[in-house]
Amino acid sequence: MSAVHAEAEGMPQGHFTLPDPSLSRVLEVENLIVDVPGRRLLDGISFWVPKGEFVCLCGPNGAGKSTFLKTVLGLMPPTSGSIRIMGKPAQKALREVGYVPQRKTSDMTFPARSIDLIVASMRGSWPLRIREEERARAAEILRHVGGEKLLEKEIARLSGGETQRVFLARALVNKPSLVILDEPTAGVDVKGRAEFLDLLAEISASDELAAILVTHNLAAVARCAERVVYLDAGRVSAWGLPSELLGQASLSAISAVAGGDHAAHSHHHHLPDEE
Amino acid sequence: MDALLEPLLVPFMQRAMIAGAVVGGLCAMIGVFVVQRGLSFIGDGLAHAAFGGIALGLLLGVSLERMTWVALPFTVLIALGIGYVLRRGSLRGDVATGVFSAVSFALGVLLLGLRSTDGPQVNVETVLFGSILAISPDDLITVGVVGVVTAVLLAFTWTKLAYATFDPELAALSGVKVAALDYMLLALTAVVIVVAVKTVGIALVSSFVVIPAATAKMVGRSIGRVALLAIAIGTIGSSIGLILSYHANVASGATIILTLGAVFGLALLLRRR
Repeated sequence: MSAVHAEAEGMPQGHFTLPDPSLSRVLEVENLIVDVPGRRLLDGISFWVPKGEFVCLCGPNGAGKSTFLKTVLGLMPPTSGSIRIMGKPAQKALREVGYVPQRKTSDMTFPARSIDLIVASMRGSWPLRIREEERARAAEILRHVGGEKLLEKEIARLSGGETQRVFLARALVNKPSLVILDEPTAGVDVKGRAEFLDLLAEISASDELAAILVTHNLAAVARCAERVVYLDAGRVSAWGLPSELLGQASLSAISAVAGGDHAAHSHHHHLPDEE
Repeated sequence: MDALLEPLLVPFMQRAMIAGAVVGGLCAMIGVFVVQRGLSFIGDGLAHAAFGGIALGLLLGVSLERMTWVALPFTVLIALGIGYVLRRGSLRGDVATGVFSAVSFALGVLLLGLRSTDGPQVNVETVLFGSILAISPDDLITVGVVGVVTAVLLAFTWTKLAYATFDPELAALSGVKVAALDYMLLALTAVVIVVAVKTVGIALVSSFVVIPAATAKMVGRSIGRVALLAIAIGTIGSSIGLILSYHANVASGATIILTLGAVFGLALLLRRR
């Protein structure tokens, strides 16, 4: 990694350390704009994630984090700009992405076991019967995330922490290059959250798997992030090392870029921790 | 035992048994997805929409026997309209269904009033509460064709439909055509509802969709088992209800639904233990 000034197009000028540009890029977003009638949700987002890097995507509610994720995942069309995953247009590389959604998006009353979810991710369709090799693979990936006892458990009976383990397993089962986690610890109890953070820290230590974690949880940022991208009002306000952004001086910089009253009150600013 | 099964020897009862079993199974099959998606109200809404289609047919001079062919496209259009509103994300499912069904029903009432007084008399009670005992051989063919088409379509799309029901975003990420499946499910629901209206009527048809699926959901541990169980409950419950109504000489549609309701109550009690 090299310490450089932020000079990418659309980036604020400041002393943020960007990834080494010579590293291969798992995700590359260039000047991404997303409009809905009467409103611009994303306003020229540009950054990249090199192989193996764990990025925390932060920002206040309404900053565009969810829109950004949906666009990367192909669930929302970009108005302009480009998203490339492993060098290919995002729509053609979705198998390279593992996704852990917010807990509220899935129907947890659905009559299913953990193994069904994982095999559905492997097949791209819901399994009626599970083959032995699929069972073995599901068991292996659950063991990898410390959830070996959850294989046959009904999803309606999973605790918050167990649910996220299973969803992480289903995201990892196809050996993606990039895993995207959307506030995975929101609504999870303290013990479950701490255990899940341990898991995320393991992913962060991996040199192979890149990750984007959307979070409001400062503990998660401090524990896992190798880089932080801070969104505000649909723009990248800051992109750098956690130490640079979590420090008081850089928060002032973020606030200054965000503009208006924020700059004047920068000494009061914190990354929001809503969990 | 022979006396109990005596109705099976009577031709109109044979037709009613076949129609009831097929419609019961179809409604249950559709109901598994409808109930799981929290759209239980849609059966009722589309039945009311079908009334608009029936009234339109009557205005156009179509006989009550052939009314299905007018009600079908009308109700499917309403279902697709509900689907479009749902996908726009601006309204909840119950609101969209409520608006579309109320407008269709009101349109039906209006169209009935515009009919020429010389036209054939319509027994509104038959439309509201069904007439499974009056199922004709032609009706049976319609039920059969709809049954085969629906079963084949659901069988081919089952695994994708289940995935999209669990989580549409994850399914879309896995390459499932979620929007197309949503519209297909709504259209199939409309078709099955229109055919089912003939058997248990507008007022009771949604129970045919909801009760077997809701009962099976309390007992089954996988979506496949829930579906099989729901189909069994819909099919067998319909047959038992029909036989009971024959012997007790009471309304058949209502008896079928009460039978299904009793099975639901039993499942509820057993689950609590």
